[in-house]
Amino acid sequence: MVKKPLAVTLVFALASTLAGFGQSDTTAAAGGPDFVTRIQPILERNCVRCHNHDKDKGSLRLDTYEEMMKGGAEADAVVVGKPEESELIIRTHLRPIDEGFMPDEGQMLTGEELELLSDWVKTGAKWPKGVTLTEKKPEPVKRVAMPERPPANAAQAAAYLDDILKRENAAEKELFKAPGISDMAFLRRATIDLIGRIPTMDEIDHYEKAGADRRSKLIEELLGHDRFSERWTIFYADMLRIRSNLPGGNSLLAYVNQSIEQSKPYDTMVHELISASGRPNSNPAVGYILGENADPMELAAATSQIFLGVRLGCAMCHDHPFDDWQQKDFYELAAFFGKTKRVQSRNNGTVYATEGHEMMVMWPPEDKAKDKPRRPVAPTFPFTLTEYEKEPHYLTRFEQKRRKSDASKPKQDKDAAIEALLDGIDTSPSKPKDPILAEAKRESRKLNVHNDLYRVSELRDQLAGLVTSPRNGFFARAFVNRVWAELMGHGFVEPLDNFSDYTELRHATTLDYLAHEFIASGYDLRSLIRIIMLSDAYQLDHIEGDHALTERERAEKNFTAAPVRRMLGEVLYDSLVVAGHLSDYKWPAGANIKTIERQVRVPTGETRMIDGDSSTPAMQEAKTTIRRDGYDLESSLEVDFDSLLSRAEKSDIASMKNKSDEQIEAEKMAAMARMQSRTRMIYRTEIKTEKIDDNPRFSSAMLMATPAPPAHFLRVFGQPTREGLGEFREDHSSLRQQLMMLNGRLTNEAARVGPKEPLHKILQEDLRRAIEWAYLEILTRKPDAIESNRAHSIIQSASSPAEGMADLRWALLNSHEFRYQP
Amino acid sequence: MSGCNDYFYTRRNMLKLFSASVLGMPISRMMAQADPTKASAEHVILFWNSGGMSHLDTWDPKPGRKTQGEFNPIKTSVPGMEISEIFPQLAKQMHHAALIRSIQGTNGDHGRAQYELQTGFNVAPNVIHPGLGSLVVHEREPLGDLPAFISISGQAPRAGYLGQQCEAYYVGRPGEKDPYLAFPEGIHHERGQKRLEILAEMNARASGRTGCEEMKAAEVALKDAVNLMESPALKAFELKEESQDTIARYGDNEFGRGALLARRLVEKGVRFVQVNRGGFDNHGNIFEAMRNHGASMDPALASLIEDLKANGKLSKTLVVVLSEFGRTPRINNNGGRDHWARVFSAFMAGGGIKGGSIVGASDADGMDPGERPVKVYDIHATICAALGIDITKELYTHDGRPMKIVRKGGQAISELL
Repeated sequence: MVKKPLAVTLVFALASTLAGFGQSDTTAAAGGPDFVTRIQPILERNCVRCHNHDKDKGSLRLDTYEEMMKGGAEADAVVVGKPEESELIIRTHLRPIDEGFMPDEGQMLTGEELELLSDWVKTGAKWPKGVTLTEKKPEPVKRVAMPERPPANAAQAAAYLDDILKRENAAEKELFKAPGISDMAFLRRATIDLIGRIPTMDEIDHYEKAGADRRSKLIEELLGHDRFSERWTIFYADMLRIRSNLPGGNSLLAYVNQSIEQSKPYDTMVHELISASGRPNSNPAVGYILGENADPMELAAATSQIFLGVRLGCAMCHDHPFDDWQQKDFYELAAFFGKTKRVQSRNNGTVYATEGHEMMVMWPPEDKAKDKPRRPVAPTFPFTLTEYEKEPHYLTRFEQKRRKSDASKPKQDKDAAIEALLDGIDTSPSKPKDPILAEAKRESRKLNVHNDLYRVSELRDQLAGLVTSPRNGFFARAFVNRVWAELMGHGFVEPLDNFSDYTELRHATTLDYLAHEFIASGYDLRSLIRIIMLSDAYQLDHIEGDHALTERERAEKNFTAAPVRRMLGEVLYDSLVVAGHLSDYKWPAGANIKTIERQVRVPTGETRMIDGDSSTPAMQEAKTTIRRDGYDLESSLEVDFDSLLSRAEKSDIASMKNKSDEQIEAEKMAAMARMQSRTRMIYRTEIKTEKIDDNPRFSSAMLMATPAPPAHFLRVFGQPTREGLGEFREDHSSLRQQLMMLNGRLTNEAARVGPKEPLHKILQEDLRRAIEWAYLEILTRKPDAIESNRAHSIIQSASSPAEGMADLRWALLNSHEFRYQP
Repeated sequence: MSGCNDYFYTRRNMLKLFSASVLGMPISRMMAQADPTKASAEHVILFWNSGGMSHLDTWDPKPGRKTQGEFNPIKTSVPGMEISEIFPQLAKQMHHAALIRSIQGTNGDHGRAQYELQTGFNVAPNVIHPGLGSLVVHEREPLGDLPAFISISGQAPRAGYLGQQCEAYYVGRPGEKDPYLAFPEGIHHERGQKRLEILAEMNARASGRTGCEEMKAAEVALKDAVNLMESPALKAFELKEESQDTIARYGDNEFGRGALLARRLVEKGVRFVQVNRGGFDNHGNIFEAMRNHGASMDPALASLIEDLKANGKLSKTLVVVLSEFGRTPRINNNGGRDHWARVFSAFMAGGGIKGGSIVGASDADGMDPGERPVKVYDIHATICAALGIDITKELYTHDGRPMKIVRKGGQAISELL
């Protein structure tokens, strides 16, 4: 257990040499470091939490001098004058993965702190009489003053935001601030962010003519655009980890898409997600519960991490190592899901969520119960809802807004599960406040219709109310942090779902302010986006190339310069489709007749006794619509959102899922082998030539089943698998990405100039204008003189203007400037 | 030097390394790479059999027991070592191979068990562990022009915290041309080169203006992509260079071609090849299914070992056959076997592994380990040890969380090395 001091000293010496710490920097004169100002804070922040009066891990206490000197169960904590023999020093110098490392499961001490501790032990471990240590939490986050009055409109809210950011950055010395971006760069950035593709020529034209307030007009148009909901469905799909291949996955995707389209308030949506019961066909929101297999533990972990930005799941097995959450907190949250059940119909395999009668979450945990009886846990919400003496204006505004919208809309059932409960029954929403109807509904909640199907969860309904409460400080902030990061490149807190007293929160007041405005807007996504995009912060340029890397990072972290962001995979895909006019045929029929050679296996007429194998012709012929070589990596297979939201039964698909993929595969192979009944036709390979009209057309990546298959274009460009919590998009460059763009069909078809696109004609008439057109269409800007001349010579030296233009466009589509947002 | 092409934030990573050293971690240790002088193997060919392959009908027959099933054991080139009759050709190569018959899995669910077998860790929140191939190419230097890690006929596990750059290069169907490795149809070489020149000019202007690390990283990736497209090593993908006889010997089917391609790739310096095969989740009619599997696997594996031996590569190439778990000793009413993780087997050959060894044993009916239980992560430790990778080393996730290469307590199987 006790490590060799020699190795430790070596590690330490190496570290301090590399880090360049000298004795003189940190050490006070002869007497050693002062206990109260230098040592006490280190012990209080890192050690006393587990070594105190109430909790003496390893039988060691570090809250008083006397206790410290008693040492722990195995060795002396401090040997005065001998740091190399003091367990306190040895263990803090270990690496975090070593056995016995301290602080156990905590953050390693800094080099400076380690040096101070060693020095203190060496110089006598002086501890003033009577000083008792108590645990200290990390320093609270610094905040600046909030604006006192509510903003008159979104533009003013954005101005307040900029003002807060500026005041929060005041302490940062010589912070570089990038200039604002040009109008055209703004058009490109905003269009990409809001509707998930680059702007078209018509849109560029329209924007240029829009006048001085074109930026705010553009934001309004984009917020109202059809594609807005599709683009932001991707955002939610990542956040909620929506997977098309899970029961209810596609319905959930369609539900989210529709919710955005209809401007459903975010809190209402989350309320529905948490409380839903029933089948995905009739209540698509239930996909969230089903996605976690209706497992109380998984649901508690996901709900706290996704909606509240708190990684409470780490407390599933033990008290949270890096935070103050106890295992009991986690169990009490899980208990809200403790009666939820996932049921699979035996008849047709349909999967649904319902509410059972018994509490399945028990305390103590199984592995800690020993012989003690385990009892059902009472659901308790571990987060406090803030009570205000005087209600802040954002809450008043929120309540006003809610009253108004409630009054103006015909009353709908707040609880979507009711829909599922009364599935098939016509519920004309007559007098909503009718006490008899209310009573009937209350009763119907308790009824077991459809043989105990789809029971509504009172517990989850209650939890949903607590989670989404405007008085719950975590809910709005967690969401705002994500939206901000989506638009600005990184969040106030990173990772985005890890709010804790122990992780860094930058610009806390800016975050709070946006969260309050988001609540005041009635949790309206578009209002939140509007404020962010109207701010100066959003409209900043990148830092120029000649700045030091550290300066660049500091400016980006403080939101005084925009980081370079690569387009999302889906956005890149759709931008290629738009830039290359590939959403519809750009060639007349018969213009691209190609003779292709294909290897086919033809039966020889002979048979032999042998095996069945996975690559039999029968299997190949089953998939005629996709490429047969395994490289169907750029297609888009659409999901029809509308039909998913209809109430038609899709039980055959559901029953497929009854079996695991592995089992289906095994049965398929076995069936194929049987079919050939061991006598197998002998085949020979022949080259067959065919004529095809290769007139490509691509649809939007936004509508694809999601996530795409592995190695697909979207996955290569960072689409996550959405399997685990805490998984975010990768934006690394890769070899595969480059090969896909260099040689892929999408880029190449986009580069070719089709007779049905405007450029075709312009190219014949006016080369200069054609070059300008190509630049505008692909990069949303005109070429400068150098670029224009270069393009001119490229096209003139090519074997035909069409080929030369295709080469130019291919390069533009492959360029950094296309792939990375302005 | 790592075999993963890490194009991302190269300078930023260096900064992070430095700040990590400030935290008291020895920088020399973090930079330490595998010690090739300790390596007995240079390459790995992993046959990943997805679905849970029956141990009883392959490597661990139980003659005379109720759990035996339809197959009889056959003698192999190693006295006393018997395997299932579905592997008659492979039986003659077993003096090059070792069997581990006492693996103790901990998950009976496909997803979790696949994660466990492929990464050596159990599923945990907020971290994704890298698969074996990603780990190996991260730790060992690259050997040639081709990607260090190639997956055939399906996907390899993800690289997790090691990042996308350590993920496998994907080969759809062995023997078919990869359309992404050459300029597209209609673009001849000079035209393609001209396009690349135009592009390089544009990119240099953009990255010069913004000074952006990400763009510079993308340019390195682009250069590597072009180098790969022009590499003579690409010929390794073309099975038409092999004689019809050779193709027939491996089996002219996807699995046989996959094994043949794996051999060709290893010859060209690919560090880790994973060949995927599905169809082992035999809840019904298992014997028919396994007979069919044997008919494909037997000639392919036997020919591979034979050829590697003949060309002198076997001693440096570790061939492994793994699956996520075994199957129930009891034969169910559908003539199948269900999931069984309590004990199952693995096959290893070459790469310095002591041929002809049997490690551990299951009990009489193949229910539990009978002697010398082997933990799943001992297999990972063994593979790492064969490749000279220090299993006590830790790696860092991008947010600085230290991770062990092999789960704590994992030990290489000393009998094999």
